[in-house]
Amino acid sequence: MQFDVAFALSTVPTILGAIGMTLLVAASSCVGASAIGFGFELIRRSGGWGGLLVGFVIDFIRATPVLVWLYCLYFILPFYGIRLGALATGMIGLSLYYSGYLAEVFKAGIDAIPNGQAEAAKALGLGRMDMTIFVIAPQMLRNIAAPMGNYFVSILKATPYLAVLAVPEMLGRAFDIASDTYRYAEPLTVAGLIFLGLALLISQAIKRLEIRLLGPTAR
Amino acid sequence: MTQTDDKPAVQIASLNKWYGAFHVLKEVNLTIPSGSRVVICGPSGSGKSTLIRCLNGLEAYQQGTVTLGTIELGANARETVLARRQTGMVFQSFNLFPHLTVLSNCTLALRRVLRMPRNEAESLARHFLEKVRIPEQATKYPAQLSGGQQQRVAIARALCMNPRLMLFDEPTSALDPEMVKEVLDVMTGLAHEGMTMICVTHEMGFAREVADQVVFMDQGSIVEQASPVAFFSTPNHPRARSFLNTLLH
Repeated sequence: MQFDVAFALSTVPTILGAIGMTLLVAASSCVGASAIGFGFELIRRSGGWGGLLVGFVIDFIRATPVLVWLYCLYFILPFYGIRLGALATGMIGLSLYYSGYLAEVFKAGIDAIPNGQAEAAKALGLGRMDMTIFVIAPQMLRNIAAPMGNYFVSILKATPYLAVLAVPEMLGRAFDIASDTYRYAEPLTVAGLIFLGLALLISQAIKRLEIRLLGPTAR
Repeated sequence: MTQTDDKPAVQIASLNKWYGAFHVLKEVNLTIPSGSRVVICGPSGSGKSTLIRCLNGLEAYQQGTVTLGTIELGANARETVLARRQTGMVFQSFNLFPHLTVLSNCTLALRRVLRMPRNEAESLARHFLEKVRIPEQATKYPAQLSGGQQQRVAIARALCMNPRLMLFDEPTSALDPEMVKEVLDVMTGLAHEGMTMICVTHEMGFAREVADQVVFMDQGSIVEQASPVAFFSTPNHPRARSFLNTLLH
């Protein structure tokens, strides 16, 4: 079968039509995963039983396939009376899954901050919350912009998993076209190229952010 | 003299601290009257930094009491926070917040802890930056300043909180020699204004000129406590004598 450029181009509008869904899922999962991951890391650092438990949860999440999470949330939770829509399941599943990885990234970012920073904050009388928000978090972000960006790209690339829940994202849309026309090469290539473009955009944005964060204040 | 001035600024009673099995502070007793300038010196590992860090709760201790003014540290959580807020600390490694401008370094605690409005906080910060003679650096980031300038910002940052007591933990040890003086000058100025100061330092010239008490520590104990004149002319303890010999020759 020959690659039909004209046909490929004709699939672009249909596939691009789902870019909104892909971006919505990716963006909300990036936010969700970052928020949960940061919370996990703070609890883990505080030690005690809660810290141990969260440490175990993080390892557990990282050691299981993302599809298992999506299937569990979608098919098992309803038995316990919790019925999530496909889209919500996808966002929550990706958020939870990547929160484990991001917690590790945050850990590295916080570990790299010299102890004196927290000591100075304490000596000034800052409370735990203010210290975390105004002293620790900004410096952590400077340390981890690059690896965090990598995971954001990973999250983007994981959105096609939501096809198993019939969420209409880009790869699913491409596959629909393929099934209808029996031509796989063109729609899948188009979808792949759009993902490539998005990933490059995110990497560029992260690079700019990193330069801005480090700026004149690089240590 | 107000009532709080009658109370010693710091009273350390039977302070003991262990790192595991290592007895780092042994039965330390020290009374520091309000308005006095105490220099703590001693060989490295003698516990002087640990002692000063116990005075604002950066280090926990197992036995004894530390009383700042009327507040015993650790007795009451809210009062302990208050006591710490009234104690300024300057570190060897400056510990400025690298992601904040000089001005924001100074205003962060004013705004978050004292809930001061931005304008008020900034004008107070500028006042103290002027006092440490670097008002023109307010919008720069710490990495753009020299070590001496950074340490002066750290002093201004601590002064912003209107402390009753200033702790200096080897404030000039990380500085190039030509920058030591600018920091010591600021500290001397503070001393002349009557600030209660405790300095861990090896700057014996500063001790001689500014201190009214020199405390010499060795192996976790205070082994000598005297006026600078007495300490430098006739040190009693053999460890103090050999310490001064190595330092002055």
